Amino acid sequence: MLHLAATLAGARFAGGDAHAGQSRVLNVANAERSEQADHAALITLVETIEALSATRTIEEVAAVVRSAARRMSGADGVCFVLRDGDQCWYLDEDAIGPMWKGQRFPMTACISGWAMLHGQTVVIPDIYADARIPHDAYRPTFVKSLVMTPVRPRDPIAAIGAYWAVGQTPSPDTVIRLETMARATAAAIENARLYASLNEALERRTFLLRELDHRVKNTLASVQSIARQTLRAAASPADFADSFESRLMGLSRAHELLTRQAWGRTDLRDVLEAALQPFGGLADPRFTARGPAIALTAETAVVLHMTLHELMVNAAKHGALTSASGQVTVAWRIETVDGVASLALEWVERGGPPVFVPKRQGFGTKLLERGVARDLGGEARLTYQPKGLSYALRAPLSDRIAAEAAPRVPA
Amino acid sequence: MTTPQDAPQDAPKDAPRIMIVEDEALVALMVEDLLTDFGCRISGSFGAVDEALAYLSGAAVPPAALDGAVLDVNVGGTMVFPVAERLRAAGIPFVFATGYGALPRQGFEDIVVLNKPIDPILLEDAVRGFRRAA
Repeated sequence: MLHLAATLAGARFAGGDAHAGQSRVLNVANAERSEQADHAALITLVETIEALSATRTIEEVAAVVRSAARRMSGADGVCFVLRDGDQCWYLDEDAIGPMWKGQRFPMTACISGWAMLHGQTVVIPDIYADARIPHDAYRPTFVKSLVMTPVRPRDPIAAIGAYWAVGQTPSPDTVIRLETMARATAAAIENARLYASLNEALERRTFLLRELDHRVKNTLASVQSIARQTLRAAASPADFADSFESRLMGLSRAHELLTRQAWGRTDLRDVLEAALQPFGGLADPRFTARGPAIALTAETAVVLHMTLHELMVNAAKHGALTSASGQVTVAWRIETVDGVASLALEWVERGGPPVFVPKRQGFGTKLLERGVARDLGGEARLTYQPKGLSYALRAPLSDRIAAEAAPRVPA
Repeated sequence: MTTPQDAPQDAPKDAPRIMIVEDEALVALMVEDLLTDFGCRISGSFGAVDEALAYLSGAAVPPAALDGAVLDVNVGGTMVFPVAERLRAAGIPFVFATGYGALPRQGFEDIVVLNKPIDPILLEDAVRGFRRAA
């Protein structure tokens, strides 16, 4: 466009051949001055584009735009307006007097909104003669005339406004310069946004790595505990290997379930289903399960899974699951006692061989009585009745156990 | 959630009395066993910071009914530091045990940190330190 302006000046000079010599000299001087001005504008524009390409945040973009736009337009004030949903956010300004820095207006109630909604530059020589202008917002300011140009006209993300303290029609050159600035600004804003989202992604990655490290170490600590305590109760190396591997597989199934839920909340019934998987899950007719939807945090799901795993293994070795006619009923409900709502869960075995109180407390028993209950601030009780073992767990509802459906994560 | 009555307590009368704060029961059960193996008595094992604080309001009054403590740092989302401060004020030594690599613990830079999984040798060393201090 600067080239175009220079060509127009040249044509005017060529056409002025018929005029007097003095006028010709004047024309030459004018043309030279105009060329110098174009040259200065071009350099300013290149410098601005260079400065914009080095910006990393919207605030930096705004800082470059406000001073460059003012220099290039010769305006008394410049505003940098960002689109924020259906609002215009007057992010920054550079002017002889205060305008609207930091304020937000609805897109439909200000001229920057009009320029963005229509995707076109608007030139207003006398703001008080134009109905699109919210006059009340302008009265405290110096502004009498303005140019407002949208950034990325097809899908505007911002606008640049230039304002004058006198009523006047800004020159076409001024308008073109502002529009050129707006084009350079569009790329800078998109870069700043890309940079911000990249930074966010990097921070998220660092956070996830740290979280992964934490989870791995905690899981290893659990495995360490399982190994040591299984060893304490093991009668032989083969017995240790059997029990340890069974518990390790249980832990692995619990983690599979959690990964499926993206380590979010998991439903109690899904935890039960996963724990009983070695028996084909709840589809085995010996199992009966009933209870409302209960959402558990990942950690709680793991420890409850381990509890149910121990009960299942014990039932398979000594209890109801040793016979085809055995029955295991798992029932849970919310009970409120003295204003405290708790989860009450029961595992009841029937139809197995007669039950005897074990001579010594193994790891399984310890985990059942002190594991999940300790974690949840509740209590647990194992009862050895001849007709079958039963286990009762009571734990107050908390941020770990909620009486609500866990969100289903699609497989 | 104290455990002295159901944990085997065949340790000698002058055995160091240790408190455990650990939100994961599985890890707590192991630490209890390890400490018992090292000749300590478990004076209390807690899964929450407020439970530990409630216990300390009695046990930390001189003469302290406690010779040392093993503290998880992030206890179910609550930092254990109020417990650590109470212990320090009462002159009871303690160590941290954590799965986090680095944790903000201003004021406790001098306290030994055991990483999880817990190395039993380092835990035993820490407990020996308690005994000397007691």
